[in-house]
Amino acid sequence: MTEAKPVVVCTWSESQGEFPVGAEEALTLGRKVANALGTRLHWLVLGTLPETGMETAGRFGADGVDQIEDAALEAFSADVYLNALAGYCRQESPMLVVFSQSVETRLVAPRLAGRLEAGVLMNGVDIVAGDDGGLQATASAYGGDTQVVYELSGAACYVFALAANALQAEPAEGGPTQPGCRSISSDLGGVEDRIRVVEEARTEGPRLEDADVIVSGGRGLGGPENYGLIERLAEALGGLAGASRPLVDEGWVDSSQQVGLTGKITRPALYLAAGISGASQHMAGCSAAKTIVAINKDPDAAIFRYARFGIVGDCLEILPELIQAAKQ
Amino acid sequence: MRIVVCVKEVLDPDAVNNYALAGRLEIGEDGKSLTQTTIPRLMNGFDEQALEAALRLRDAGAECRIGVVSVGSDPATILKHAAALGADEIAAVMMEEPSPDYHVVATLLSSYLSTSGGADIILCGRQASDDDQGVVPALICEALGIPLVTNARAVELMQAAGETALRITRVTPDGDEVVEVSCPAVVTVSNELGEPRYPTAAKKIAARRMKPEIVTAESLSLSAEKLRPRVVALRQFVPTVSGNCEFVDGETPAELASALIARLRQESVIS
Repeated sequence: MTEAKPVVVCTWSESQGEFPVGAEEALTLGRKVANALGTRLHWLVLGTLPETGMETAGRFGADGVDQIEDAALEAFSADVYLNALAGYCRQESPMLVVFSQSVETRLVAPRLAGRLEAGVLMNGVDIVAGDDGGLQATASAYGGDTQVVYELSGAACYVFALAANALQAEPAEGGPTQPGCRSISSDLGGVEDRIRVVEEARTEGPRLEDADVIVSGGRGLGGPENYGLIERLAEALGGLAGASRPLVDEGWVDSSQQVGLTGKITRPALYLAAGISGASQHMAGCSAAKTIVAINKDPDAAIFRYARFGIVGDCLEILPELIQAAKQ
Repeated sequence: MRIVVCVKEVLDPDAVNNYALAGRLEIGEDGKSLTQTTIPRLMNGFDEQALEAALRLRDAGAECRIGVVSVGSDPATILKHAAALGADEIAAVMMEEPSPDYHVVATLLSSYLSTSGGADIILCGRQASDDDQGVVPALICEALGIPLVTNARAVELMQAAGETALRITRVTPDGDEVVEVSCPAVVTVSNELGEPRYPTAAKKIAARRMKPEIVTAESLSLSAEKLRPRVVALRQFVPTVSGNCEFVDGETPAELASALIARLRQESVIS
């Protein structure tokens, strides 16, 4: 009998030594699918395994950790990463490769699918295995206004990217496993990225992606002159200021401050949304927040469906008072 | 030089959004499509910006022909819009399925590209506003074996010693990055590129006479096997969001604000 093909969760750290964002959620989903299909779960780490990596792998029920460590993988390069990944997949023949969705995996995952002749689905929310061993996957559409259930059949392998806010990480049932760690060799010496970086991106100050507290403003602010209220409240709460897309489109704020589907995907402890209606496209960038607070004039605004705490009122009246109260 | 822009027809995302915000978005009896038949169909906004990037290259002096291609059951309307904006050639790849699988779309487009004379620059929107997948450009780049640069806010042509290359400003989480890539290449365009132009009335009238080249799987000699879908939509639904919002009490803005801060401190959300 041939062994069932494994489920592989693939991650890398955005910067050296950091724990890869979304790895626990991806492992949670990977474990669920591997259990349903009676197959193994492997965690493939490109680059250096984070310090707590083996403990995490065990807690989330991985059967093995595969590590490709190569000097060429130290900094992200789509062509190099793709070569390492495709080589690994040709050797291990996984049935499913799960990524946590990010700007980098949005680039790598579909290209991997193309190279492997695999099927691909991004913005993934869940995967369910049927009794017949077939897979059905759910992904969000229209920025989250709807979700679509897809049947994954016809390809030997599938590539799936799990959206940031799709599910809660949950340690594997039945206690931690004791996964082994394999070092996978790769030959990346001759691979060069066809894209030459001539000016590196320079982060000016802290990033919204890493912020613990974010205060965001939307159309309800009325005009660009009121955006200062958002910045002052963010400062008073020790956080950063964000915005919904209309403010960026109107030119009130820089696009680096846009939270949402096509902007920053954030995971703060506190997300305070002032004058934001709560369109799915915006929520895609903040619904992974632990606590959402909404201020909106309209008691029926969609944002209140996502919020833990709400104030019905004009944000232009409430914000100055909040700045005062936060400073006390 | 030939630039080809790949465009998709979608339901107006703002209209879909307004229905969703009002809690009135509904799925029809087929379990797949939205019932709101009044929602207009238009060119995906990001694709329109990809076309704008092509037009700006021509405005900047690039000697090029701009082709626009779309896969669908009836892409003539958006192709005529593309012609009115300044496309030199338009091609419709006919596909009966209303939303064929991404792999099928990418196979049709790559096959069209390589059999219609190739392209030096292939421009696409970063994603379609209906399914948000953004995978077709990546699948095209792999099928053609050429590089992919994503999320461009500016695209410039660099020509020297018979070499054609692009200098692209990319939007990244860490700010703007500037990269160079030799042609041919696939480039996806993001909303940061800015407002696309509007067609003039005269160009709209002229575009009405332009007929798209009709392309089919047969004319591309693609077998059914090559066009077998891998990801098939079974059903679509409107997700419910569990609302358990605690509305803070207070008569005045000051009372509301201090009540909120107090609750957040109580729950250890802030210190």
